[in-house]
Amino acid sequence: MESIRARLTLWYATALILGLAVFAAVLYFARRSATYQDLDRRIRSEADLTAGILAESYTARGRLVEPDTAGRPVLINEVAAVLEVVPDFLVVMGRDGRLMFASPDARSLTFSEFEQLSALVNDPARRAAAASGAPGRYRITPNGPTLHYVVRSVPEAGGQIGAILAGADTRSAELQIEQLVTTIVIAFVVGVIAAVLVGRWIAGRALEPVDRMITEVREITDGRSLHRRLAVPMEKDELGRLALTLNQMWTRLERSFVALRRFTADASHELKTPLTVVRAGVERAITRPDVPQETLAALEETLQEVNRMTELLESLLTLARADEGRADLHREPVDLREIIEEAGETGELLAEHAGVGIEIRLPPDPLVVAVDRSRMRQLALNLIENAVKYTPRGGQVSVELGSSDGRVTFSVADTGIGIAPGDLPHVFDRFWRADSARTRTSERAGTGLGLAICKWIAEAHGGTIEVQSRPGRGTTFTVGIPRGET
Amino acid sequence: MKILVIEDDKTVGEYVRRGLDEAGYHVELVGDGDEGLRRASGRGANYDIMVLDLRLPKLSGIDVLRMLRDRGIGLPVLVLTAQDSVDFKVQALRMGADDYVTKPFAFEELLARVEALGRRPKAIAPPTLKVAGLVLDTGSREVTRDGKQIELTPKEYAVLEYLMRHHGRVMSRTLITEYAWDYHFDPGTNIVDVVITRLRKKIDHAREPKLIHTVRGVGYVVRA
Repeated sequence: MESIRARLTLWYATALILGLAVFAAVLYFARRSATYQDLDRRIRSEADLTAGILAESYTARGRLVEPDTAGRPVLINEVAAVLEVVPDFLVVMGRDGRLMFASPDARSLTFSEFEQLSALVNDPARRAAAASGAPGRYRITPNGPTLHYVVRSVPEAGGQIGAILAGADTRSAELQIEQLVTTIVIAFVVGVIAAVLVGRWIAGRALEPVDRMITEVREITDGRSLHRRLAVPMEKDELGRLALTLNQMWTRLERSFVALRRFTADASHELKTPLTVVRAGVERAITRPDVPQETLAALEETLQEVNRMTELLESLLTLARADEGRADLHREPVDLREIIEEAGETGELLAEHAGVGIEIRLPPDPLVVAVDRSRMRQLALNLIENAVKYTPRGGQVSVELGSSDGRVTFSVADTGIGIAPGDLPHVFDRFWRADSARTRTSERAGTGLGLAICKWIAEAHGGTIEVQSRPGRGTTFTVGIPRGET
Repeated sequence: MKILVIEDDKTVGEYVRRGLDEAGYHVELVGDGDEGLRRASGRGANYDIMVLDLRLPKLSGIDVLRMLRDRGIGLPVLVLTAQDSVDFKVQALRMGADDYVTKPFAFEELLARVEALGRRPKAIAPPTLKVAGLVLDTGSREVTRDGKQIELTPKEYAVLEYLMRHHGRVMSRTLITEYAWDYHFDPGTNIVDVVITRLRKKIDHAREPKLIHTVRGVGYVVRA
């Protein structure tokens, strides 16, 4: 589940399905039992009514039985006519187990079905059970109706009546229950669909402020937008508190950014002023005539170190400002060919010294782009210097400037020692250095910030810098910068 | 030509004062913004250029600059700053500064900017530099030795010009690098040596006397 909204909906729907299922089960069983109780009451009252009629008729007439045309004893006509209107199944048996009366429903049974019904009434065990008046259920043949019945004896109707059976077909009751099940299933499906839809809507509504907050937070991306705050809703609910907490966090972040900015400004001044003083002293001494040569050499070394320190300090300050998101650029339209050509000449000098071949390819037409001239020069020189540095004697460095699809591309390729695949993702990290074995031992390692600065310069111009390398085969750095309107 | 230097750090101030003094300027050095502003805007003030440090006691450099411009004084101002962020430079220029130099600076750079602000021809650097038979015309950027023209690349020219301008004096590798590449070049690279090797081939090869000399561990000197 990729969103809280989907999860909430799922939970909500599951809870509702469980609730509905329990409700449906309870409803089903309660309804079913009530239906059978109704049926029970009906057959009992039918049995009681029949028993009453028989007893009353016996008292009034003194007899209940007369022989029919075939000479078999049956209920006398008047009584039979009264019983004829009783619905459902009604059977009256004589003491000897012979049929004395059957209601129209009972008469409509097939012969074998009727035999079973008679056996039911004549079963001694059932007759015994009849005293307690417990109802039973019986299926007459596999396909016939299921009877819900009660058997009872009628002692007050003279000795000739054995037992009566009153029963009802359960079909109507089952039909009612089936209808109930259908209703439940439909209600269930509709309920679940409605639950999912409503759940989604509720979750969406509840989470909408969170989405809004995400959008707002995303807009606070760097040091410059840190002063922004989230709108805090009036209600102090969870979201209100979250917004407050985030805002407090930003306040702390902003404070540390301000502290960092102040630190960079202070560091600039506090470290550069003494450097200026040292430099001034060394420079004065070194340019004075008649200084002994050993002193001059010492002064030159000092000057080199002062420069190295200045360089490191400037790189650190540049990166500190870059972290704040302040693109410290002074852009103006420049023909990039001039910059690369100049850097190229320096590259040629370096390459000559290192015994490396160098080729510089420039486009024939001016390539004017709004860039920070000194930063672009730094970028080009850094990459060319690196390429020469990591290419062994006899190798080749190719520098190319070109443009395509509204982008200017500047690439520096060498046939040097390359960079191990594991190191590739780190080459633009601060203070990252190639293995010491990769550098010619005669040269001191740089500050380790060169490529980090290159990356910043490329990105501050809205561009990219990429590196491709194969150990032992060479490395290619490619800078791409959008041409913009110019 | 008269220059007012406002710099609270004594060593830096003294260094600037002496350097400009040696270059033929008349320099006055003051240590705080209040005093500097009073002198620059006082009656009879006749400075041609102001060199102004931005971080000063009492009155900051930015305030001095603003009050100076508010009083309608258009004296050219060169700002010294430790802040090399572009925002800051833009702010200084907007406040009416004419140029800036970032600390720590090479004196050569400061001098070049002061000269540019003074709008005077490089009187102290004659347009044509001569050492024995070697002649360098700073105007046309032409170099000849014993009347024969020598073709130089821009960097070769820059290095030779620097050495000839200070001929007879040992110039350190670092100073040469700074002059020819206005970028703090990795001092570990021997790029100056490569340029010198090339220059020797073009200038001293098969000619006497040799003009370019190596001073071990320090740098080079052009001397007849």
